Amino acid sequence: MVNRGALLAGLFSRATVVFLFLVIAVLLAASFYTYIQDSKLSSGSLSALRMASWNLARLGNEASAFDRELALMARGVGEEDQLTMRFDVLWSRYDYLLNSTESQPTRDHADNAERLSDLFESLRSLETSIQENLALRGGGWTTVVDRWREQKAGIQQLVIDNFVGDEASRRVSAVEESLARLTNLRFVTLAVVVAVFVYLAFAMAFVRRQSRTDPTTGLPNGQYLNTIRNISPDRAIIMCEIEGFQMILSDFGHDEGNELLRVFAKKLRKQLSAGDELIHVSQNGFVILLMPRGKDDIQETAERFVEATSFDWRTGESVLRVSSVMGVDPECQDQCLGWDIRYQRAHRALSQARLERQAYCINREDLRRRIEEDRLIHTGLIRFFNKEPGTLSLSLAYQPIVSSGNRNMIAGAEVLLRCCDERMGCIPPNRVVDLCERYGLGVTLGRWIFRQVARENRDLFNNLGFNGNLSINLNPAMFNRNLVRDVQQLLIDGGIPGPALCLEITEDNAALEFLKINPLIDGLHQLGVTFALDDFGTGHSSLEYVRELHVDRLKIDRCFVEGIEDSEDKARFLGSIIALAEQAFIKTVIEGVENEAQWRLVEEMGGELIQGYHAHRPMPMNEYLALLLDSKTCSPFQSMVRVSGQVH
Amino acid sequence: MRRLSLLLTLAIAVFSSSLMASPQITVSNGSESRVFDRNELEAFPQTTIITTSPYFDGEVEFSGPTLARLVETLGLSGHSKIVLKALNNYEVGADLEELLSLDAIVATRRESKTMSVRDRGPFWIMLPLSERPELNKEDYHRFMVWQLSGIELK
Repeated sequence: MVNRGALLAGLFSRATVVFLFLVIAVLLAASFYTYIQDSKLSSGSLSALRMASWNLARLGNEASAFDRELALMARGVGEEDQLTMRFDVLWSRYDYLLNSTESQPTRDHADNAERLSDLFESLRSLETSIQENLALRGGGWTTVVDRWREQKAGIQQLVIDNFVGDEASRRVSAVEESLARLTNLRFVTLAVVVAVFVYLAFAMAFVRRQSRTDPTTGLPNGQYLNTIRNISPDRAIIMCEIEGFQMILSDFGHDEGNELLRVFAKKLRKQLSAGDELIHVSQNGFVILLMPRGKDDIQETAERFVEATSFDWRTGESVLRVSSVMGVDPECQDQCLGWDIRYQRAHRALSQARLERQAYCINREDLRRRIEEDRLIHTGLIRFFNKEPGTLSLSLAYQPIVSSGNRNMIAGAEVLLRCCDERMGCIPPNRVVDLCERYGLGVTLGRWIFRQVARENRDLFNNLGFNGNLSINLNPAMFNRNLVRDVQQLLIDGGIPGPALCLEITEDNAALEFLKINPLIDGLHQLGVTFALDDFGTGHSSLEYVRELHVDRLKIDRCFVEGIEDSEDKARFLGSIIALAEQAFIKTVIEGVENEAQWRLVEEMGGELIQGYHAHRPMPMNEYLALLLDSKTCSPFQSMVRVSGQVH
Repeated sequence: MRRLSLLLTLAIAVFSSSLMASPQITVSNGSESRVFDRNELEAFPQTTIITTSPYFDGEVEFSGPTLARLVETLGLSGHSKIVLKALNNYEVGADLEELLSLDAIVATRRESKTMSVRDRGPFWIMLPLSERPELNKEDYHRFMVWQLSGIELK
């Protein structure tokens, strides 16, 4: 295949094309030369020569006829009518030869014109003598016959000269030469035309193939894809890309990038079955048109492709983990849409896989519904943030955090996001956060939460002297240089004392460089703000986080609490986490305590603060406020008297 | 004496030409033969052709009966060939049907005047070359027999 390509490329090299043009130029020159040569011939063409011979032969015949009559007359046996008639016929021949356009070539040849008019002159000079002899009926014919004999010789010579003269044979051989030239030229022309046609056929095939083939992988390319108008409903479409290919290109350069593409394409090709098509549509984009797989469903097939294209790629000293991301439009279930829509769906699945950081995504009904919902939520959020009327609204809820020793002792609360839509009902907050992060609304959301928290809690802290804590989840987008300013301006300046604030970050959110994140945390520490590591133990992180990250609290995930009352192992495990935190001078908040038994165990283990349904469910601000002000509750107010005074 | 003889010559010449004033065409079909002189030819319905040709300059008017009308007097059945003969011994054969389709006339007059042998008369097969330019080529020129003396059907 490569050799054939090289052969074809050689065939269309500059040298070949120049050679071909030279051949055509030479052919044109030869044609021109032949044309010039033959145009010299055309002034005295064969037909003119033929006509001249013919006419002069007629002249000869008619002269002979007159000659016979004259001879008879000289012997005294001639007929007058016949002689006159022959004389007149001869006369008319001269008239024709000297004056008609048809005889032009005859006159033009050599000195025919001059000789003809001389001969005609002589003939006319005979007329009077003939008339006299006829009138006298005498025997004075001898002079006439003598004078005629001279003319007759002249006519014969003229006929001979025109009939078999040098000119005629010279012309004939010139015409033969011309014919030979034409034959050669025709042969060469034909050969060249055939060669050019063959060349063009190759060129067409080459160009067509070239334009539909990717030069790197040799696979059909986007041009080929454009020719697809239809696809059988039972075939699936997979769009596939190498994850982070631009990064690989920038790190390793184009040659290595191309090499990787070839390796990648090879691995894809290995997975193909009969009838499958693999198309290299863009720099690192591939499209696979799958024939129906007998037993495997599309999910298994997609997984096989993903697995096959996840590999360690060694180039030089480096080893690189290569993985792919795929979008699948599965075979049609009921009614099938056109190619364009199906291709678009595969595209959508690929984008979705990338957004959701999945290896692949299959564009089924549920995905389409999810995408549609995402779109609605996104629009709703934008409207909400712009304060336009809409069906979606955000609000805050508060889940109290209590002391394990005294459940009436409310240490504070975690601010939770609530999102409700009139059409869709309540939407899980993490979905809202993900959507905001995905569509660049993260900072807007974070700031809205800050403002809303300040608005709802300002009185609690300023007027009621609440001294407890307020935990706020930080979404990833808020981790930027402006975080300290945002906290200062929106929360502290908004009326929430810095020391009351605890910002919660998850391990995944914090999966940034400590060098970047710790300065932010330190900056906020100066304002008295504390930090908690949320969902501790569930992310991808290691204990390194606990050690390196400057956090003040650990929030231990509910999964470590679940089942501790039934399993000693689980209980021991939780206990050691709490102990670890204690040793590191980090406060713990145990999440998800849902029954009395769990509570007691956690208390025994030394867990300080508890957040869970068994103590309090999340509640709106007014309920939270009522709870704080309840007489049973002992919350950290600066002045209980003042509070009581205000309440009562 | 010389003057007298010249006068005499002229008188005889005029006389003899008047004697010869009745040129003829023989039309035959093998079994039957008919001879037409100018008067008889001019008794047929006359057709006029105004045309140019390679034989003279400019447009010239010819008149005479159509060739078709003339040969029909003998009946055409059983004949497929026609041969035209001239005083100068020229002969040309043609397919009868083809020749009759050329709208040829047997011209007896050129510009209303009779034609002498020197003018390529007395009879000349004329084709309407100007009217039917497709006839203006050598293949048809050969049928334009001048000094026509005989027509034979075969």
